[in-house]
Amino acid sequence: MATRPVPVLIVDDQAFFRSAARAVLAVMPGFTAVGEAWSGEEAVARVEELSPELVLMDIHLPGISGIEATRRIRAAHPDTAVMLLSTYKAEDLPADARECGAIAYLHKEDFEPEVLERIWTDHQPVG
Amino acid sequence: MPIRVVLAEDSYLVREGVRRLLETEPDIDLVDVCEDYDSLLEAISSADPDVVLTDIRMPPTGTDEGIRAAERLRQTHPAAGVVLLSQYADPAYALAFLEHGTEGRAYLLKERVADLDHLLAAIREVAEGGSVIDPKVVETLVTARSQAAQSPLARLTPREREVLSLLAEGKSNAAVADGLVLSERAVEKHINSIFAKLGLPEAREAHRRVKAVLLFLAEQR
Repeated sequence: MATRPVPVLIVDDQAFFRSAARAVLAVMPGFTAVGEAWSGEEAVARVEELSPELVLMDIHLPGISGIEATRRIRAAHPDTAVMLLSTYKAEDLPADARECGAIAYLHKEDFEPEVLERIWTDHQPVG
Repeated sequence: MPIRVVLAEDSYLVREGVRRLLETEPDIDLVDVCEDYDSLLEAISSADPDVVLTDIRMPPTGTDEGIRAAERLRQTHPAAGVVLLSQYADPAYALAFLEHGTEGRAYLLKERVADLDHLLAAIREVAEGGSVIDPKVVETLVTARSQAAQSPLARLTPREREVLSLLAEGKSNAAVADGLVLSERAVEKHINSIFAKLGLPEAREAHRRVKAVLLFLAEQR
């Protein structure tokens, strides 16, 4: 039986990056984009509505930040994993990025199918 | 005739995003997409593009591949335009990219590629031999420059500095006039004053414009 693709919500205030992330997911049979959001508040609402298993979350967003949105999503939906994506160098990441419950942080420049696949696989509990 | 574009970008996300954007434009023909320096050189040689849209840092060294490809293009394909995409506003890269001439050259920050109109305007501009320098890069240069008290640029009035920064973006006198809400005649006066203060001798107007912009960039070194 084929495994169901992982439903993914894409959160970024720039349409360009939302579209680019969709292009990445489109070549990955194991994942499917189920929706998009452009702000932290909208992301929280879309998780409620769409129940994605994975959220690709930009950090710098209008309204609440991606870090705060991650915190809220993780508190309400512990089964939804969030991966932070941004253009911060790892050493410049806001301190609370590491404590908001995200499974990983990835620079946008490094985001590609193999990397997403690996992070997701490592995140999955064995057995 | 559509503008034939070769794209070179090692970031998967940016590459796929730009590819998607450009593929929807009827006047752009994306003829090849590359991920590193060597494949970019091959694509230029086989596709003979009108415009190369390239990242600065790519494999194999991840340093200045885009700038080196642009420099090489001056010899092999002098009519081809180059839009250089940079992650940060880096004056040293801007200078290296523009020091042998600004014609057909655009320097854009990557954050601009998200704005399709901005990206398309740069592609069309360099295809026609024009130039575009990202306002943020210009701003970085202006700030650094104006801090150098001994610089001839320090003698410019704030208005003249504004005019020069717009010239550095490749704008015509008419566009500068529009941007600053001045008459074209007033812009010409400012430009003549800039040339005089920078000590640029009488010569062809276009040559002096390029010189003024380069002087502006050069003292970053």
